[in-house]
Amino acid sequence: MDQTGHDLQRRIVALIARGVAQPTTDEEFNQLAREVFAFQYERCAPYRAYCDRLKLGPQTVAHWKQIPAVPTSAFKSFALTCFPVGEAVAEFHTSGTTQETAGKHYLRTLELYEASIKPNFVEYLLGDYDELNGREARTAIGGHPDVGIGTGRPPLQKRLPMMVLTPSPQEAPHSSLSHMMGVVIREFGGENSQFYVKDGVLRVEELVRDLREAQAQHQPVFLLGTAFAFVHLLDHLARQRLRFEMMDGSRAMETGGFKGRSREMSKTELYGLIEQILGVPKARIVNEYGMTELSTQFYDDSLRVNHQTDCKAAPPWARVVIIDPNTGRETAEMGRGLVRVYDLANMWSIMCVQTEDLGVASGASQESGTIQFEVHGRAAGAEVRGCSLTAEDLKLE
Amino acid sequence: MSATIEQIREAISRTREARERVWQHRTTDAVITVLAQAAKNWLDPKSPWRKRAVEQAPATTGFSGAMVNEAVDLTFGAITYESLGELLDRELGNRRVLDEFCLRGRAHTRAMGPRLIAHFLAGNVPSPGIVSMCCGWLLRSANLVRVSTRDPVFPALFLESVREVDAELADCVATLEWPRSELALTQTAVGDADAVIAYGDDHTISALRQLAPPAAKFLGYGHKISLAVVAKEAMTEENLPRLAQAAAFDASVYDQQGCLSPHVFYVEERGQLGPRKFAAALAEAMAAYEARVPRGQLSVEEAAEVVKFRSGYEFAAASDRRIAVWTNPSGGAASPDNEPGRTSYAVIYDDSPAFRASCLNRTVLVKPTDGYKRVLDAIQKFAPSISTVGVAPMNERAQAFANELARMGVPRVCAIGRMQRPPLTWHHDGRPNLADLVSWTDLA
Repeated sequence: MDQTGHDLQRRIVALIARGVAQPTTDEEFNQLAREVFAFQYERCAPYRAYCDRLKLGPQTVAHWKQIPAVPTSAFKSFALTCFPVGEAVAEFHTSGTTQETAGKHYLRTLELYEASIKPNFVEYLLGDYDELNGREARTAIGGHPDVGIGTGRPPLQKRLPMMVLTPSPQEAPHSSLSHMMGVVIREFGGENSQFYVKDGVLRVEELVRDLREAQAQHQPVFLLGTAFAFVHLLDHLARQRLRFEMMDGSRAMETGGFKGRSREMSKTELYGLIEQILGVPKARIVNEYGMTELSTQFYDDSLRVNHQTDCKAAPPWARVVIIDPNTGRETAEMGRGLVRVYDLANMWSIMCVQTEDLGVASGASQESGTIQFEVHGRAAGAEVRGCSLTAEDLKLE
Repeated sequence: MSATIEQIREAISRTREARERVWQHRTTDAVITVLAQAAKNWLDPKSPWRKRAVEQAPATTGFSGAMVNEAVDLTFGAITYESLGELLDRELGNRRVLDEFCLRGRAHTRAMGPRLIAHFLAGNVPSPGIVSMCCGWLLRSANLVRVSTRDPVFPALFLESVREVDAELADCVATLEWPRSELALTQTAVGDADAVIAYGDDHTISALRQLAPPAAKFLGYGHKISLAVVAKEAMTEENLPRLAQAAAFDASVYDQQGCLSPHVFYVEERGQLGPRKFAAALAEAMAAYEARVPRGQLSVEEAAEVVKFRSGYEFAAASDRRIAVWTNPSGGAASPDNEPGRTSYAVIYDDSPAFRASCLNRTVLVKPTDGYKRVLDAIQKFAPSISTVGVAPMNERAQAFANELARMGVPRVCAIGRMQRPPLTWHHDGRPNLADLVSWTDLA
């Protein structure tokens, strides 16, 4: 048995179970983060080699911000795990374009992964649920000392039906997003919750039928999907001249960019159309920021503050830092840079991941040393200054 | 500041009038003399033109002052009485055909330049725009030059420097600036043009082609990519330092943002020294060049591209022996307690033969190869996008390789170290500069 690993996992699960409302202090996070780093340094050979190259290791790292970050691209060429890869219970793959190799995230256990999904989801997407349905949701999840699967679910009849614009986890076993959708349907979804991408096709007709029915029955709904699936749906509805006024309490969660999947649309435009065509107010549309290489997701704070905002905050078991790509250091106040994530729930793979997304710190908490941040999407927008083709151009040909 | 429609119209009529005056009594030889003198006036290390460019151009081009200084030498060093004359003689047979009927074969013939040329410059590399302006002058056309927002400085200063030598000739050219999105302004500019010369990405060029009058001559120069090949004969102890220095110059000039800037160096195996030695020597030479001519400041987006491109290699290099990375010693993948991970240059050795475009801004890939044949296989599918292939040494084998590249449609092969110095007479993107613009009248 892997005692160190399981002990660490138990402590992280307990931290997650405390819920989102109670932040971790810097010392508290630091303690666990350094232990996870030492664990990963010892178990993951390519990571250790990289740390050694940077002359950083458990002996030299005093603060979590010094822990070396692994670029997401490294997940394409290495199996980055702290356990024998053969023992993985699941592997999630990045989508990417066809010519690229996929990045792979191997999971030692689903327990930690799923534990990290729930309190965060409740906080940012069902936070007002207590007002709708009594107080079960937040207190049950957040207040429970052991958030193991099967505890703290709101009663079935009070749940919102989830209309999910992705394939099911059975159809897409390597999609972390589908897996997450499966978990949230299981934990929080109402009776008629469904996946609407079947055999790779978004079933718009079915969706329209079910939306009609929900509208007729004054049933609020919860729409979840990728931004490009929403665009696809909205385009269809616009062509058919269809409009919905979904019941109060309805909400939507959208995630992911557009890259090459449909016509691109700004967040403002997308939310405007969702409000206009589906009747879900902007303040009840939440962007989720997540990625295959991580276990934890990050959400816009809109539902909690009751107006549309792009601000996100890391939950107590994670930290986000914005890195100035010119210096490799944390940006000065409110500076733009690359989003770097420290995710304790990633203890069996890599905790500190350097993403390719640009973002900006939009606020800071003195107490825990955490920031609020906005994500501006993948760093692919550098304007060409000269006359040379770039990697992006050449890829398109 | 954006020009207005009135300013564009006024510039067109002013340059046209000037052209009528000049056309009456100026010989081509006189024009060559003026342009050569103006260019020469930039080259003195203490030249006021140079000084002004070094002061003003960094803000828009993003180059360091030292880089702008290099750009002055590269751009104006190529423009001489001899090279301008040679350009005319080579492309038109004889420079005097622009002045009078000349006997060509059995018939007399003479050439006329377009009455009005609209030039659309792009990007921050000054040389193509300056050459384009020279062509307009040589053909004694009226020239409306829309300068690039990335470099409004060089064209305007060059025009001023010509004015200093010859005000009447200078009046044939007007430089203006307006945003690409102002379609009405662009339409006004091309509406009366007899020829349009456009630089930019494919999208810009096809948009201009749509706007240009159907009868106008149209020359479009798109974005391109370059690479280089080092053959085993060049990989000797004795040759390496000089070779690396030449390669570092080609890769570093214009911060690798030019279409002549190499992204990949293929190095043939089985030489006296191996490809890794080349990579290490190249890194050292790029460091030396960086010390003398620092790379410009990058925007957050540009720096993010660089980090994105390099970080995967940097991670892999720690455990994968097929990959190695050299960056400036104070840099490397940064962490808060390290020195800042400066991005000023990097050489990445990667033994995968696949051609890959760099993130630009002085990040070069070095890849081992079995020989020229393998290089051809690797670049085949990118051939239409290639501008220049540098080679070392320029020997018989390299010439056979050049023949294969010619068959692929690659427009230029040259020695490493010369990649950024095309002669004025080169076929930019495989085509003549002047011959495509003139119309002929035969007397036969």
